[in-house]
Order: sequence, then C-alpha cells, then structure tokens
Amino acid sequence: MKVLVYSFQTALKNLWQARWINFLTVISISVGLLLLSAFLLITINVDSVINRWSRGFGMVVYLQDNIGSEDEEHIKTLLLQDKEILEVKYISNDEALDTLREVLRSQASVLEELEDNPLPSSFELKLKRDIINPSLVEKKAARIRQIDGVDDVRYGEEWLSSLNTISKALSIIAIFLGGAIFIAITFITYTTIKILFYRRIDEIETMKLLGATRIFIKLPFLIEGLFIGLFSGVVSSLLLFVMHSFTAFKLIEFLPSLRALVVPLPLEGFLAIPAAGAVLSLIGSFIATGRIRY
Amino acid sequence: MIQLTNVSKFYDEDIILKDISFIVNKGELCYLTGPSGAGKTTLLKLIYRAERPDNGKIFVAGWNVGELKQRTIPFLRRNVGVVFQDFRLLLNKTAFDNIALALRIQGLNRRQIEEEVNDALEEVGLKGKSHTLSQHLSGGEQQRVVIARAMVSKPTVMLADEPTGNLDPETSDIVIKLFKEINAKGTTVLIATHNKELFIGTGRRVISIKDKVIEKESIA
Repeated sequence: MKVLVYSFQTALKNLWQARWINFLTVISISVGLLLLSAFLLITINVDSVINRWSRGFGMVVYLQDNIGSEDEEHIKTLLLQDKEILEVKYISNDEALDTLREVLRSQASVLEELEDNPLPSSFELKLKRDIINPSLVEKKAARIRQIDGVDDVRYGEEWLSSLNTISKALSIIAIFLGGAIFIAITFITYTTIKILFYRRIDEIETMKLLGATRIFIKLPFLIEGLFIGLFSGVVSSLLLFVMHSFTAFKLIEFLPSLRALVVPLPLEGFLAIPAAGAVLSLIGSFIATGRIRY
Repeated sequence: MIQLTNVSKFYDEDIILKDISFIVNKGELCYLTGPSGAGKTTLLKLIYRAERPDNGKIFVAGWNVGELKQRTIPFLRRNVGVVFQDFRLLLNKTAFDNIALALRIQGLNRRQIEEEVNDALEEVGLKGKSHTLSQHLSGGEQQRVVIARAMVSKPTVMLADEPTGNLDPETSDIVIKLFKEINAKGTTVLIATHNKELFIGTGRRVISIKDKVIEKESIA
C-alpha cells in the first residue's frame, strides 16, 4: 500500500516535471483514439441502417399454375414449420393482379387486353434477421424450390449481396484501422516512457543498489503510462461527443438526409475509449520498462 | 559475516580475481587494500551482488550470494550498505530525500522516515543541511550524506569503495571516524582503499590483494 502511494506521488510529480513530452504524447494518442472511435461510430451508424433495411427483407415463393388449394395449404404448412421463417402471407393471383393495376395506375388499361390472369399465386415470406446473408438465403431458396408445387423463389439477391459487402468491408477496415491504431498508441507510450525511464536511469541504478524491488522501480512508470492513456481517452471521448452532437443537431439542419444515418453512441462507448487508452498505454509502459536486472 | 571461498572472476578471458578466500567476522572493521586495478572494486561488487562469481562461494550475513535469484537480490542489498567513491547521490534531490529513499524502498511510513533520516543526518553532522540540494553540498558533505544513506536502514554489513578517494585529508579523517562509530554499534565494515595512511597503526586487520590474488592478511 505504501509502495502504491509512493508510486502515485512519484508518477504525478514526474508527469508534471516532463509535462511537455507528456502533453505531446496525450495529443498524439488522443488523435489516434479519436480517429478510431469516429470510424467505429460511423460503422455503428451504417450497421444500424443496414439492420433497419434488413427488417423489410422478404422472399416470394411463386406457385405453379395448376395446383389446387389443398396443395397450397400443404406448402403453407411446410413453410410455417420452418423456424427460420417468421411470417407467411398468401397472395392469390387475383390479388397480385390488383396490386399490379395499382402500380401501373394510368397504364393499367394494357391489362384489359389479357384474356387470362398471367400472374401466379404466391407466398410472401419474412425471414429471421440472423439468416439474412447471401449464402444462407440462397440455400433457403434452393430448399423451398424443391417443394412440389413451387415454381420459383425470388428475393433481392443483388441488394442483399451489396448490403453484405458494405457490412463486411466496414468490419475489415475497422479491424485493420483498429489494429494499426492500437499498435501506434502502444508504441507512442512505449517511446515516451522509454525516454522518461532513461532520463532517470541514475536514480534507477541508485535505487537498485539500495534494494528497490522491480515493482518499486517500475510502478511509477506504469502509473504514468496509465494516466497518459486515460487522459488521452477522456480527451478523445469529449471531442467525439462534440463532433457527434454537432452532426446530430447542427449538420442535420443543412443535410436532413443524414437523419436516418445518425444514431446516438451509448454511454458505454464513451467510457470504453478512456479504458482502451489506459490499457494500451499500460502495455506500452510495461514493455518500455523492460526486465530490470540487478 | 562475510565469507569468500576460492572465488574467481573472469571478464571474457581476462582473470580479474583468482582463488580469493577470506572471512570478515561479525562486528569487525577490516580494510581491503591493493594498488589500482588490483580488483578491490570487483570484489566489493561480488559481495553486494552487482557481479556474479565464476567460481567459488560467497556468503554475506547468511545469504549465499552467488546463488541468489534476481528477485531476491534487493533483500540482500537492504542488509548491505554501500558507500561509493563517486557518491552516487541524486544531485537534484535534497540531502533528506537522498537518505529517505533508502527507507521508502523498505516501505517505512512518513513519520518513521522523518525520525530516522533526521537521526542519521545528526550522526553525520549534517542536520542543518537537511533541505539543501545535494549538488550544493561540498565533496565531504556529499560523502557524509552517502554514509547516512547507507547506515539509515541499519544494515548488518557496510562496504566502502575508496570512500576518501575524492576527499582532502581532514575530511577523510571525519569520514573514517564515522565508519568507526558505525562499526562500534555492531555493523561489520569492509573498507577498500589504496591509501595506506588510512589504516596504518589502527590495529585493524588488512587484506592485501595483488596481481588478482590475496597477497597477505596482516594487522596494521
């Protein structure tokens, strides 16, 4: 406990004594964390939009012309038994024609030329959100196509594939950017603490001769690193909050279309940034102080 | 208290010390002498484990020094006070802070530290210089701060490497007198010096090193 108190006091004193180098380190780490958190915020927003769009995703199962109502009922039962299908809605060929008429409006007269209704009856399916990705949906469609009486299955293949690509690309960029920034932050703290460590090398050598344990020597440096990371994280969180508030309240006035894209960042997100800064800087400091040998 | 048995030390292929054996008894004040480069400093380094012997065994206050693990070395050093010719003071800290560091390392609280440091400063005759920065102290005063720092943690053994090397004869006498006072309180003291005037006629035991080996043990 006394070692901890001494280490805290020493760390605070050293932070103040080397305030310029520490200030520059805080700025560098803050910029890194801000870049990363801003990108993550954009990813969260885009993801939420994709999620909202996914809720409207549907699949249409077209039935063969010649099947009777018993067969239709049988197909409906099979579809309802599938736990990945949330909703099954029957659309008769007459209803389909009515819908087409509504869509065509003034051009609907062309339909009067037809002797028979060319449209098939169908089922509209709503799928569970967790299976809405191109490969799973494709497999599902292939299975449904094999049911007797089903003529074809259609869904927005290209649309789904595009959404999936955007989502995957964002995730990959987040991983690479995150990794690069994490390494950069660790390295920045490593360099700063290494400099501070060598500045006090005479004191460290004396402490070793007086019987200081490794933890006694290292702890003040680890606390310094922790403070630098934590403070940088707090600065980033505040800047991110200001940027987000500016986008949410001011920028939307000029670009109303942004409204759909902006979702609030949860409080945990703002707390995670200082925590990440503290952990990464602590790792950097730990590496910088190295293995102390007597 | 200090026992060396057939200790040798090499740097690459150079022999620094060869087959050194001697004992310094508990409560004894003993001198280690020899010309410059004889290996006195290396010998002291072996005792406080700044170096590791290549052959032989070293026991200090019951510790088998050569076999100590890295994490145990600090605890040996708390029992062995060391006084250096070049002082090794933290010049940007006060005399008080330099001495207090030894006690902070041992985890004493602020009141204990204050009491012990003030007592140590009084013993070395520097009570009035407590808050003076070490860089503003004279060479003799700096050496006395180093002695106070070494004795404040009440070590069982005190080692001194040419403690008067940078001091004038008058200040040297004061420093040697301090070592005698420390020894009178029961601390085992080993002083390494090439200056024979320090021990001639003292009646103390002198271990002489020459050409990497012990030349003789005698009474001064």
